[in-house]
Amino acid sequence: MRVEEAVLPGVGRKYTITVQSGDRIVIVVHHSGKREVQYFEAGEEDEPTMALDLTDEEARELGAILAGVLFHPEAVGDTQSKLGQKVIEWIKVLPGSKLVGKRVGELALPPGAHLLAVDRPGAPLIPNPSPDTLLETGDTLVVAGSREAVETLKRTL
Amino acid sequence: MHPSVEAFTLAAGLLALGALLVHKAGLPPLPVYLLTGLLMGERLPVEELEPLPSLGLLLLLFSVGLEFGPDRLKGLSGKAIRAGLYDTLALPLGFILGLLAGLDLRGAALLAGAIYISSSAVIVKLIIDLRRAANPESEVVLGVLVLEDLVVAILLALLGGHGPVGFIGGIALALAYLLFARFIGPKLVSWMEGLSHELILLLGATFTTGTALLFHAIGASEGVGAFLAGVIAAALGLRERLEHLFGPVRDLGVALFFLVVGAKALSLFQGLTPAVVVLALIGLLLKLPLNHAGGARVGLSRKRRLYSALYLVPRGEFNLVLGSLALEQGYPLVAQVAVLLVLLSIPLGALLIRFAPEIGRLLLREAPRPRRPARSS
Repeated sequence: MRVEEAVLPGVGRKYTITVQSGDRIVIVVHHSGKREVQYFEAGEEDEPTMALDLTDEEARELGAILAGVLFHPEAVGDTQSKLGQKVIEWIKVLPGSKLVGKRVGELALPPGAHLLAVDRPGAPLIPNPSPDTLLETGDTLVVAGSREAVETLKRTL
Repeated sequence: MHPSVEAFTLAAGLLALGALLVHKAGLPPLPVYLLTGLLMGERLPVEELEPLPSLGLLLLLFSVGLEFGPDRLKGLSGKAIRAGLYDTLALPLGFILGLLAGLDLRGAALLAGAIYISSSAVIVKLIIDLRRAANPESEVVLGVLVLEDLVVAILLALLGGHGPVGFIGGIALALAYLLFARFIGPKLVSWMEGLSHELILLLGATFTTGTALLFHAIGASEGVGAFLAGVIAAALGLRERLEHLFGPVRDLGVALFFLVVGAKALSLFQGLTPAVVVLALIGLLLKLPLNHAGGARVGLSRKRRLYSALYLVPRGEFNLVLGSLALEQGYPLVAQVAVLLVLLSIPLGALLIRFAPEIGRLLLREAPRPRRPARSS
């Protein structure tokens, strides 16, 4: 597959995609979010066989279907996974966070939120961390619980 | 109530009516704004509408600078630039035409500019409205427009000043802006990331009109000032944000601006001589063969190169800037040609672009159709 990208000043961007069979797809992404899609059969230079307009939302949905995301729902979304009404969230300890240097036992977890694990880069996962585990910059806290409790926790951190 | 409210209601109603009439026919609304203005003539209370039309032109030039600034040259294919060079031949030809019409050097240069510059704003709007953006000729046409806007901005900077002070002042101010964007820009941008949309809109509006005022104050062209403001904003990486924020405000201002241009045109054309009409018609036709040859040079098919030549017919914002400049500097002939070109080329160009496929079929009917073996499916 070959992809060529061109700027269309005042309009947006144009991608010309040539696939293995020689068929071409031209996609114009407008500043307004609209997408124009044209399909050219192999060997046909001039007249598109098909033309299609998509709204921003439709294009995203189509993109997700093409990427196979809908078959693997757990791959969607940022770092939140749904377990019915419960959620799992990954919270990163950023440089300068007030969590740095704190012990797990000192964390004020709201009722309903639980710390499942601490993921430290370059080290084995620390499951069910003991209260005296010291938090470092770069750690990722794996938190589970009801949505409100996890949201509250995220706000307080 | 302030009388401007009445004038605005009348103008907006007329614009809406015009747009509604052509909407059904699948035609773009811009030429209708112009024609509505022409029909209304002096019955339209132009003065009461100010400052919206004047702001409309400044915002239009700002967004042309934002979208078609010289930094776009980097992203363009060699194709577009080669086609643009063919297009540039219109300048010397227009200049010679001006000399033949008895103008002096400065007047001939102004006329050459008016013949050369197509309207990025009008053409982009037509391409989007008529759903031609994905076509191969659109890429070439839009590239040509980037080059044209750059060339005409330089031309305006050279011709726009009142004497040497305005000229040198304009260049110095432009350099100061570019240096500012280069050195203070990055810091400014990271500060602006955190600002609200509303604040950015207000800052952008102040920047645009302020730059135009500054250029006017030192005797340079305020249109170039607004264009430069757009170029700087693009260099600061604000392109997408401002595009979104300014779009609707600009569209309203531009619609009113074209309405007012139409309404004021009649008084400009009192004492219209055949020479003006002939010059405008030659100007209209002059670029067609050039752009056709340019399209051929970059490998567009027969049909597409015809389309690309037709797309570049509309003249617009910069013609009006050049026209008012010509009027100030005492070349009423050039001003009349420049404005007449706008009035003729926008409705004509809109029709030509709309019916380009039909025209192509008609003109290229005898061309042998390339036969393809049917695909088995």
